[in-house]
Amino acid sequence: MATLSAMKEASVAPPPGRDQPVPRLTMSGVGKVFGAFTALANIDIAFHAGEVHCLLGENGAGKSTLCNIIYGLHSPSSGAMVCDGVSYAPANPKAALASGVAMVHQHFSLIPELSVLDNLLMGQRFGRLDRRGEAARIVTLAETYGLSLDPHALVADLSVGQRQRVEIVKCLMHNPKILILDEPTAVLLPDEITALLEICRRVADSGSAVVMVTHKLAEIEAIADRVTVLHRGIVAARSDRPAADMDGLVRAMIQRPDATGDDPAGLAQLSTRRHRPSGKAADEVAQLDGISLRDELGIARLQDVTLSIARGEIVGIAGVEGNGQTELGNMLAGLLHASDGRWFVEGQDLSKASPRQITEAGVGIVPEDRHRVGAVDRLSLADNIFLNRMPQYSRFGIIDRRRQVAAASTLAQQFDVRAAGMGVRFGSLSGGNQQKAVLARELTTPNLRFLLAAQPTRGLDVGAVKAVYSLIRDAADTGVGVLLISSELDELLAVADRIVVLYRGQIVGECTTDASNREQIGIWMSGKHT
Amino acid sequence: MSFELLAVFLASTIRLAIPLLFAATGELVSERAGVVNMSVEGMMLAGAFGGAVGAAMTGSPWLGLVFAVLTVLPIALLQSVLTNSLRANQIVTGIGINILVLGMTTLGYRALFGARSREVIPGFDAVPVPGLAQLPVLGPVFTQIWLVWLAFLVAAAVGWMLSRTGLGIVLRGIGDDPEAVAKSGAPVGALRHGAVLFTGVMSALGGAFLSIGDIHTFTEGMTNGAGYLAIVAVIFGNWSLWRTVLACLLFGAATALQFQLPALGIVVPNALLIMLPYLLAFLAVAGLVGRQTAPRALAQPFWK
Repeated sequence: MATLSAMKEASVAPPPGRDQPVPRLTMSGVGKVFGAFTALANIDIAFHAGEVHCLLGENGAGKSTLCNIIYGLHSPSSGAMVCDGVSYAPANPKAALASGVAMVHQHFSLIPELSVLDNLLMGQRFGRLDRRGEAARIVTLAETYGLSLDPHALVADLSVGQRQRVEIVKCLMHNPKILILDEPTAVLLPDEITALLEICRRVADSGSAVVMVTHKLAEIEAIADRVTVLHRGIVAARSDRPAADMDGLVRAMIQRPDATGDDPAGLAQLSTRRHRPSGKAADEVAQLDGISLRDELGIARLQDVTLSIARGEIVGIAGVEGNGQTELGNMLAGLLHASDGRWFVEGQDLSKASPRQITEAGVGIVPEDRHRVGAVDRLSLADNIFLNRMPQYSRFGIIDRRRQVAAASTLAQQFDVRAAGMGVRFGSLSGGNQQKAVLARELTTPNLRFLLAAQPTRGLDVGAVKAVYSLIRDAADTGVGVLLISSELDELLAVADRIVVLYRGQIVGECTTDASNREQIGIWMSGKHT
Repeated sequence: MSFELLAVFLASTIRLAIPLLFAATGELVSERAGVVNMSVEGMMLAGAFGGAVGAAMTGSPWLGLVFAVLTVLPIALLQSVLTNSLRANQIVTGIGINILVLGMTTLGYRALFGARSREVIPGFDAVPVPGLAQLPVLGPVFTQIWLVWLAFLVAAAVGWMLSRTGLGIVLRGIGDDPEAVAKSGAPVGALRHGAVLFTGVMSALGGAFLSIGDIHTFTEGMTNGAGYLAIVAVIFGNWSLWRTVLACLLFGAATALQFQLPALGIVVPNALLIMLPYLLAFLAVAGLVGRQTAPRALAQPFWK
């Protein structure tokens, strides 16, 4: 924490070698509460004219909430904002735009069926359009920022990078004092990223404050004047010299801020060493052989991933989110197929297998997205527990409810799923009980040999986290090979036997879960080894 | 087919297409904005009834027309509030409204006209267009009531509005991606309400055309599916204005054939010709007649 507090102090003083910064927008004590969930607490940030300010943080850290507050999509539960010396509390995006705050959203708000020009004019005026005049005006505006643009092209025909440029021009038309970009590079090809960063710099040079949300460290190094790291809704670190402070920033992003002394999940207790798996080749359960995967835009999400998991071994996949973990999980679940390479469980090639075939091969899947992939919220607990095994409890297609409910009760007891009854709606259970129910189903998959658990503790309370990891470890003790994908490095260190680090879809490092390896893992995660 | 018969056929094609054209133009605007009004049928029927009552009571078809619009607006507002404010299912509410209006107009008709059924109501008369009506052969085509020309005029204006004005872009945007439009600051909810009310006004004119324009009387359930046909015309027209106009004319022609074929001594079961527009729409929706590009957010409620 010493380095972090030093960084915090540094942010109070103006950055060395620059003029006194002019704050464009100041947030003081801003918080946002959604129901019982605190998304943001007591945020103090100043965004200055002429700077590119990066907001860094994991998914769920509160970056998007922060941006949405600035852009008037959410109103803060507490705190105040000042924009150019005037109190600023936008009721909606329109008010934000009027105050000079513009935002490029992660999901573009362009309408593919319309031309670039029509998209740009959307909502700006309602009367007759002088399309020729407007087009000339827009092209001139774009050119002052070094952007080229064909106003008459149909948005549907544009590449993702080009669409993003249209979004940026849409913002620039409002001559913004603050330009917010929410994860602008997540969808871009490498050379498009370079071009985007140049544009950001030009916009900042024109006197605006550019706020860029990202979790890619290379970009921060390339562009950021200042960085603020969010973790679980609070400012975990700040830096005025991001390139130099990179290691500290990474640590602030991936660690619990409260992990200094206490151990709320009792993970240390879990990490009492089990018998180590032998690691002999003959004991191999699952094997990934040169897996590469391109998404529908042709962007490489996984590159030549080769990995083997032994009987009884828990292999942890570490990495900053968005580096291929989701794609890896979806591929092993049979939701995506690798563009290249093959993968095997007990020698059986599952590269082109359907989810059903994968289940039949003895693979249990705890998916990252519990609500969309892992379970059906509207069905009962009993139905969800046996979702993949309905035929076992039915004759001629008619479910034998009594037998199904009895079996479900047994499993629920065994896995400590607490519910008012087996007939309750799955969606009404707490997150922890939902996840335990999913585990109950997947861990009792007939002939289970390999378990994929993707972010299995996301959104769970402390007790449930511990229970989930106990279940996973118990499964490993019975000889199941486990691939555990998690964004919580502490949990991986506590639970896994071996950690593999993904960076930009590639395995960049591998080590044991010795606490002394933490530093090295951080370096791998930040892509600094290159 | 003699030239005289051809002219009569064309004239009746246009005359039969006009109620559809009014309603379809209104429905097109609404669907481009993402709202399906199955209640077009009910709104037309209410328009026909309101027009008939207004004209019969005041003796003026002009006031009848005003009355038609005033009758339909609350119904359109009901549809709009249900679907746009309360996010009710657009199809279900629309059909519910149709059944409601059928019951109400039947009741109202019996209460008001019961004793004097089939009474002729004051209505608009066909007026020859100077010059054009004197054309040889085609002359009869240009002897129509003024609402016919209004229908084409409004359709042209809507076409211009959709393609050449900012309002048009926003309406089209709302039908494809209301969230994106909302982010641009345009009032999505208000615009959708407006689009549905516009459909209401147009349906009222289409309905009134039936009762006080075309035949000068009201009968129970007299729209007889014309509203559904207008929706079908929008689908068959692939949500493009000029194609929707053509679809209305095509459907008008199919209906006109019902009267023309017997005159020519050709025996085709009437039911087949009544089916024809729906059959064409099925083919269109199934993608057999060109590619269908419905607004992406069609029938999806928007909530912010």
